[in-house]
Amino acid sequence: MVEPNADGAPPTCGPRSFFPLPRGERRVLGALVAAAAAAYLPPLRAIEIAGVALFGWLMAALMVFSPLLTLWVFWRGRPRA
Amino acid sequence: MSVERAVVLFYLAACIAIGILASRKVLGSRDEYWVAGRRIGTAVNTLAIMASLASGGSILGVMGLAYSQGIPTTLALFAGAVIGFPLASILVARPLRRFGQYTITDFLAFRFPSPVTRAIVPVLIVVAFTAYIVAQLKAAGIAAHALLDIPYESALAIATLVFIVYVSIGGMIAVTWTDVVQGLLMVGVVIATAFALMWRTGSPLERLRAATDAAPELGRFADESIGSSLGYFLIWATAIPVIPHIVMRVFSARDARSAQLSLNFAMLIYSGMILIAVFAIAPAGKLAFPALADADQLFLRVVEAEFSPLWRGFAVAAVLAAVMSTTDALLLACSSAIAHDLLGSWLRARASDRMLAMVRVGSAWIVGALALYWAFSPPELLSRFYTAGIGLLSAGLFVPTIAGLWWKRANLAGGVASLVAGAGSYALCLTGAIDLGAPAIAVALGASALAMLAGGLLGSRDGEALRAEIARLHEREAGAGAA
Repeated sequence: MVEPNADGAPPTCGPRSFFPLPRGERRVLGALVAAAAAAYLPPLRAIEIAGVALFGWLMAALMVFSPLLTLWVFWRGRPRA
Repeated sequence: MSVERAVVLFYLAACIAIGILASRKVLGSRDEYWVAGRRIGTAVNTLAIMASLASGGSILGVMGLAYSQGIPTTLALFAGAVIGFPLASILVARPLRRFGQYTITDFLAFRFPSPVTRAIVPVLIVVAFTAYIVAQLKAAGIAAHALLDIPYESALAIATLVFIVYVSIGGMIAVTWTDVVQGLLMVGVVIATAFALMWRTGSPLERLRAATDAAPELGRFADESIGSSLGYFLIWATAIPVIPHIVMRVFSARDARSAQLSLNFAMLIYSGMILIAVFAIAPAGKLAFPALADADQLFLRVVEAEFSPLWRGFAVAAVLAAVMSTTDALLLACSSAIAHDLLGSWLRARASDRMLAMVRVGSAWIVGALALYWAFSPPELLSRFYTAGIGLLSAGLFVPTIAGLWWKRANLAGGVASLVAGAGSYALCLTGAIDLGAPAIAVALGASALAMLAGGLLGSRDGEALRAEIARLHEREAGAGAA
């Protein structure tokens, strides 16, 4: 049997045709896709900070924060004794 | 020159010693050989994953690309891989670790049981990875020739011989421990080089400003490169969750949670290394060598100009480590595609354990020898060729793997159609037979998803037993909290 989440809610928040993905992990996925898409917006390619296009800084931020965010979500969802 | 060569020789001898030590344990056991007994801990797996991903391109290529194409374009290319790891840890690591087999082919052949799956997936792996190995060998040959003054062909042969020996006799245990050594070496050299430059020439931000003032193209993102950088980003973001040498690390992890953590810790270290190379070393190189004919020589030129022979030896060893840590994992994945995926079930029914061990060792030697032969006269534009190979893998495997794990309606018809449509449409886009004005990988992933959707909605549903088995892979540990 699939275990319910700790708050008693069913583990799935998505359509029934998909296997359940914890809400936090689903939000991380959404955030990563949205951040990557936003970084490619044309206005962000023209702005420069310290001589480097904002697009470059956003990509650098994505490289640091995407694993950090995912680790934070895993840490929050770790099995409890 | 003798100091540099001594450092490199010591490093190569250490790799072979690890292979010999590991061979005592692995040659008689399939579990030990392919997945290191499934007991690799988080810290060791973190370094091994980082080293497997960080190829010659992550040291020589990243600085060369920043120098010639600018920092934003470079980061777009490498950020794709970094995003791929959180995707892998969320979507793939837990269910695949619970599946508990050896390769991505094992999962796809189980989920979509068809001779087409069993045949096409390993063939795609061998084709794509052989091109990847050749590109890595070329980087090793160039680095050794440039800094050690060893002829390209000799450097190629020595490096290839060393990693074939330790991979073929030591399997995943040797690959893991050499990767740990190699990972520490390359991260240490990049960080120490950046700090030494900072000590001598001031803060990286000042150098970055000075370099972008002198060469504004270093910080700009050319609009015409948007299509290609989006394509590279997509290729690597979707390849990482399914690429065999990373998936094997999931199978070798102690448990699902350890696999998830090590994927993300590895990416933190990898990101740090790339960002230091791009923001701290490349601008210094741009200021010191504004007109390099071959941008990939930038790191070597900086080290040659600024550091002692001992440090130059470490730098060459770090480049060789980057090359070999990726190449050994690729070679093991190729070897498993042949000895386990293609011939495994046939052999296990007919051959003794000793014969199976010989096939495992022999397949590593055959793939390594073929790659070496090809690397003696590598095709031009090799880096594009191997990126196309990785694109082919991700076009063919990403949708079937993710849908096969997560979509309840995914079925045999959809899985096989998705695999063939993804790989086929990508190949057609590359050859120019299809041109929709979008990156080939975007077209191929779309075609693959449509094929999966059509098969899943129109084809017959999978059997109850198979669906129950897939559901079992998604069960959460008792007590796991909501994230």
